[in-house]
Amino acid sequence: MSGSNRSPVLVVGIGNPDRGDDGVGPAVAWRLSVRVPPGVCVLERSGDALALIEDWRDFSCVILVDAGAPITKPGRIHRLDLNNSPLPMSLALRSTHAFGLAETVELARGLQRLPPRLVAYLIEGEQFETGAPLSPMVTKAVEEVAERIVAEISAVLEAGRDHA
Amino acid sequence: MANRTIKVDYIARVEGESSLDLRVRNGAVEAVHLSIFEPPRFFEALLRGRGYMEVLDIVARICGICPIAYQMSGVHAIEDALGMAIDAPIRALRRLFYCGEWIQSHSLHIAMLHAPDFLGYPDAIAMARDHGEAVERALALKKAGNELIRLLGGREIHPINARIGGFYRVPNRAELMPVSEALKRARDQAIETLRWAAGLPFPEFARDYEFVALRHPDEYPMNEGRIVSSAGLDIAAADYETEFIERQVPHSTALHCVLRERGAYLVGPMARYALNRGRLPSEIRALADEVGLEPVCRNPFRSILVRALEVVYACDEALRLIAAYEPPVRPFVPAKPRAAEGHACTEAPRGILYHRYNLDADGTILEASLVPPTAQNQGVIEEDLREVANAALDLEDEALQARCEQSIRNHDPCISCAAHFLKLQVHRA
Repeated sequence: MSGSNRSPVLVVGIGNPDRGDDGVGPAVAWRLSVRVPPGVCVLERSGDALALIEDWRDFSCVILVDAGAPITKPGRIHRLDLNNSPLPMSLALRSTHAFGLAETVELARGLQRLPPRLVAYLIEGEQFETGAPLSPMVTKAVEEVAERIVAEISAVLEAGRDHA
Repeated sequence: MANRTIKVDYIARVEGESSLDLRVRNGAVEAVHLSIFEPPRFFEALLRGRGYMEVLDIVARICGICPIAYQMSGVHAIEDALGMAIDAPIRALRRLFYCGEWIQSHSLHIAMLHAPDFLGYPDAIAMARDHGEAVERALALKKAGNELIRLLGGREIHPINARIGGFYRVPNRAELMPVSEALKRARDQAIETLRWAAGLPFPEFARDYEFVALRHPDEYPMNEGRIVSSAGLDIAAADYETEFIERQVPHSTALHCVLRERGAYLVGPMARYALNRGRLPSEIRALADEVGLEPVCRNPFRSILVRALEVVYACDEALRLIAAYEPPVRPFVPAKPRAAEGHACTEAPRGILYHRYNLDADGTILEASLVPPTAQNQGVIEEDLREVANAALDLEDEALQARCEQSIRNHDPCISCAAHFLKLQVHRA
């Protein structure tokens, strides 16, 4: 699809709401679903990340929200430009059971199927226990991430209007 | 080089966590152990004390790739215990459901997990840069299979719509039409994938396996049939535990299943095809002939071709079932619990999956036995490895390791199912 025919923005909250801080992606998606302007699509995804390549096919700007591995402090927010660099392996949550986000992004890069603008917000988790809620520091980060994404969407849409 | 040890801690591109230990002494393979260290998952114990209506939601959690197989073996075993007869349209919908799983599971394995071995890439990401069309086809096929599963199962991973007696909700004809259009495109992509796979370089290798699969009087088997083998076995699912035994081995958290009389045996696409080629439509057999797939394939490296053929068949069969679909008068047959024992075996993508349940009068599960395909293939995987490694000992360690990993992936092992990843160690002493 040509750039001009693409929908403007897709936000995908990735994770399992029943696995502690892995649920931060869906939590941000819920928050955003009532705040984004018309034309912006918000999805939740869990499990096999390969489906993302089809999900983002028709979008010019894709913002992914996912839990990151605990490498510095719980709730720390990382904004990553995935068009220009891979998702750092130290931050990516890995699975022996399915293709993860980092592998999916690199597969899409190899296939030249990355959207024109691909951004990820990764929030470092603290605990990923079955049935556990979000930890306090990650809960605190949800609102900040949602606000930053709303601002980023506004800027993207504004830039789109300027170019129209 | 007569004595050496090769050690690989994790073999990638298999589902789950395991390792391989290969010891070579005086120029011959001394020992091969496929060590599964995925923690035991205790699903059989988890099922005890739960109601019969909970079985399908619990067993669907055993595997993210083949949950439908678990649901189908579970539903047929419970219905066997309860003496239920199922309406023909429900039977057809279940077969359609299974087609979705075969398409997505096989397509994932062919292009993303197995093909990189033949083409010398470390993974599908590297392969995609040079063979993008093959990977794109796999993604499209996987999507088509997943759409079918989502429609019939409510969601694509751990579906929730199957129930004892049928489905909670059945689709109308209009809902199936978009899937049908996607499947027509998928069928073309599946044929291209088969022709592409036929051009891969296959190592010369063959073994005289005992093939074990279901056989149905008329159909290529999915949900029904007797358990048959190339050595003459022909039994009902109820007799499975008479002929097959599970045993513990020190190096694995998964049980090894063997034929009581003859030991290791092979389940999966090669066995299904060898024992049921005659049940395939003539167009599918003609495609097999076109790509040089022999009627009985004994080279496990060529299993990728059989999988690719089964994807074409599953697309074809799904299209046939959709074209003939008449929504059932009722979405499910009501169940009435009773004290009984039920058995069933269905054809998961990786081979036969056996379930037995013992119920008490109110339908509480007293005992459950689940035997997944990978538990059944572990013996064959180890035997293959011994022969593959012995035939390739002149290779440098890195190449030998790659050949051994490829040999394991020939059988698309689903370690999580079997234990309910792979670490390879080759010791050349």
